[in-house]
Amino acid sequence: MTNNRNIKKEIDVKLHDEVLRDALGRFVDQYSDARLKAYANVDSIEDLRDSLKEMKQETVAHIEEIADEFEASVKQKGGQFYRAKDGDAVKKYLLKICQENNVQRIVKSKSMASEEIHLNKFLIDNGLYVKETDLGEWMLSVAGQRPSHMIMPAIHLNRQQCADFFSQELKEKVPDDIDFMIHKAREVLRDEFLQADMGLTGANFGIAENGAIGLVTNEGNARLTTTLPRIHVILIGYEKLIPKIEDAAKILRLLPRNGTCQRMTSYMTMVAGPTPVIRKVNGNWIEEDRQVHVILLDNGRLKSAHDPKFKEVYQCVRCASCLNVCPIWTLVGGHVYGHIYSGGIGVILTGLLNSMEDFNKISELCIGCRKCVSICPGKINIPDLIEELRAQNVKNNGLSLPLKVVVQDILANRKIFHTLLRIASIAQKPVQTGNVIRHLPLFFAKLTNGRSLPAIADEPLRDRVSKLLEKNPPAPVKRVAFFSGCNIDFVFPKTGQSVIRVLQDLNMEVVFPEQQNCCGKPVLGMGDRETAKNIAKNNVIVFEEAVVDVILCACPTCAETWHKTYLELFADDQEWADRVRKITAKVYEFTSFVAEAYERADRLIKTKGSKKVTYHDSCHMNRGLGIFQQPRQLLNAAVDYELVEMKNCDKCCGMAGAFGMKYSEISLPILKEKIENIKASGADTVAVACPACMMQIQGGLDQQASEIKIKHIADIIAEHLE
Amino acid sequence: MKKVCSDWTKIFSEEFVNPIFWNDFELNAKAAHTEIIKVSNFEEAQMTISDIIRSTKAKSIVAVGNEESTKIANIYNNLYNLDVQIYTDKFAIAENAPTADIGISIAEFAVGETGSVCVDCYSYESRVVGMLPPVHIVFLNCNNIVKNMTTAFKVISQGFKNGYMGFITGPSRTADIERVLSLGVHGPSRFIIIAVDVPAIGGVN
Repeated sequence: MTNNRNIKKEIDVKLHDEVLRDALGRFVDQYSDARLKAYANVDSIEDLRDSLKEMKQETVAHIEEIADEFEASVKQKGGQFYRAKDGDAVKKYLLKICQENNVQRIVKSKSMASEEIHLNKFLIDNGLYVKETDLGEWMLSVAGQRPSHMIMPAIHLNRQQCADFFSQELKEKVPDDIDFMIHKAREVLRDEFLQADMGLTGANFGIAENGAIGLVTNEGNARLTTTLPRIHVILIGYEKLIPKIEDAAKILRLLPRNGTCQRMTSYMTMVAGPTPVIRKVNGNWIEEDRQVHVILLDNGRLKSAHDPKFKEVYQCVRCASCLNVCPIWTLVGGHVYGHIYSGGIGVILTGLLNSMEDFNKISELCIGCRKCVSICPGKINIPDLIEELRAQNVKNNGLSLPLKVVVQDILANRKIFHTLLRIASIAQKPVQTGNVIRHLPLFFAKLTNGRSLPAIADEPLRDRVSKLLEKNPPAPVKRVAFFSGCNIDFVFPKTGQSVIRVLQDLNMEVVFPEQQNCCGKPVLGMGDRETAKNIAKNNVIVFEEAVVDVILCACPTCAETWHKTYLELFADDQEWADRVRKITAKVYEFTSFVAEAYERADRLIKTKGSKKVTYHDSCHMNRGLGIFQQPRQLLNAAVDYELVEMKNCDKCCGMAGAFGMKYSEISLPILKEKIENIKASGADTVAVACPACMMQIQGGLDQQASEIKIKHIADIIAEHLE
Repeated sequence: MKKVCSDWTKIFSEEFVNPIFWNDFELNAKAAHTEIIKVSNFEEAQMTISDIIRSTKAKSIVAVGNEESTKIANIYNNLYNLDVQIYTDKFAIAENAPTADIGISIAEFAVGETGSVCVDCYSYESRVVGMLPPVHIVFLNCNNIVKNMTTAFKVISQGFKNGYMGFITGPSRTADIERVLSLGVHGPSRFIIIAVDVPAIGGVN
């Protein structure tokens, strides 16, 4: 729709929108606790999520049969049924119903799908009178704005702005008193309901077993829309279908809790077939059956249903909780996503239901922190689906030229890549101060605004190892290959030294295969799977040749890439899949590996220390690998240190690979919040187990709290090994 | 009056419905701004309704449920003595619901985990009494409580073929302006449950 969008500029406007920032800030502070409170009386959130996920997976696997059954049930009850392949088909059908039944006034409730196909504009252009009845959506339609959130459409507005829209619509001065506005809206919209000929609703679910649709609202507008007008039209997407009446409970135990932090919304309404309506005709009250039309919308949904990866979007119940915890959405709100659906799931739905061009504009607005995955009722792997869309896009359209040079000619070629890094270490000298770059000239300056960038080390780890490996124990219990990853090799070689020291202290022999390359994650992030495969193959070969018991990563992203992504890359290649499976069985993450070894050696003894240390959970470590206890065990056992927790310890630091550089305007406010939480913890050291987080947080500390040190857990442990 | 299921109590069994969930229900319903008044018989229920009429200065009431329960029909009959109009005919309800002060209907059962009541409102009149007036009162047999939505839908799946039904959990609300909770945006601003303690499994009768 708007392909000449300047997304950077739009983000900038939102970042400077004080009303928005204030509203989102307050909301985010309350959401997580309120959500958990709503779940406090269920036995297991996980069980509920699993049962929803399984039901939805089972449904999408048989979507055609379920749709057929739904159609048969609707018809059997006396409803009209129509399958619309796209928005145009919906419009044509709907206009026909309006004309045949002399419909002039329409009230609407709960239909994102109608937004998706820009239905209102079409109806109005065709002379129909259309009113949204959800208070937020009604205000936005007056203002000519789009919803910025699926459940809280007007969260970006304050009461003064709302009052202005009321005044504009009602042509009278409306004070910015919330109660007054609500009662004014009740009066105005009540008339709309009573006069309407047609009620148009979406559906939270459609039940194949009996043809019923379900609607969840707090205002009760859906209940009025389905009760007062003489015609009811339901616009429902395939993804909303469920097989059985009992399956509705699986949605209803999660949707209100995740969406609005309620155990149930005020109204939960189900309609199966025509129901009576009483109205006045020629001065007499009559009772008749309401006309019911069900329009089942495809618009890209069936294609997704048959895609092995994208069928996962059928697990979405549109609770919008992925927005509520997204570090990006909670900073910039929903409008920058451009289309109808915003946040992580919105990026995906935009690509699947709207256009890949629109997707491209916003495909990078996911930091990959996986916080959304941890709370999604349907357990959708949102960042993975976004990455999959990026990959399909690159496969079809290729990388843009500058990226192509970087990725295919530089990153894929270890020698060139490493040579360039060495040149960078010399070239950065004029702007370097100690281990960081505090200011960059000219237009790069924004990158260092509130954050210093790390300097490339004078001497990479690979040049230091031969000396370090001389200290290998004579009779080792294990032979361990260290996969350092780029950050440890070239930015934090001292952390690499600590890792080696800790392993040697455990009586393990360390080897460092010099032909190892980047794990490939940055390349995958850009969607270039073919190059990533080449990089992966190189690493597999190199580590096979090393003949070791263990391959150790001190970077969770590298570990996750080995474990998860390499397997996915070669899913269609039996030979390589087998090789990858065999070699990745040896790959371990540093803190979990060491914690287990210490446990066995009775070295995980809690100590008291004078230095306060707080721990930042890396997203890839915590939600990617599920490792959060072991780093804390190691810190509790570290001599001289005492662990204190900070607020939101598991919230992303804003780095997320290249994202932190490309979208520094978003990355820096996220970092600032992290630094504030670190400061408030009272710690004098912040510990991390991820070199990318270390890079980001070190940069923020350098400029905002230089008295606080940052250390990788390997560095902390190594301090006390002779 | 048209209903989705002519007798929901036939579906109830101890496996589904049990008064032990009352405390959960009461707690959750109150948290959702539902007002609950527990009474031990229909005479007390009538006094309660009279009190509400007086305190709200109601002049006009639309009500359903008299066809299903003679006891409720009696209450409505006795209310004629107060200075209030009560409409129970479906066309009269349709005509007067938009201006009525109070609507009264019946709930089939309640849900402990969420504080919701299940309403069977196939008929038009049973829907408008609950949506158009600013106060909605429902009768509930306080023994008919299910544990959670999973059990609620086990019951529903046995009775729901056609029609219109659902749950009400508190009054109509919005938080669309600055996330400030406001009641009564489209529907009632007060939702009052009169829970009658009628021993033995069974409907409001």
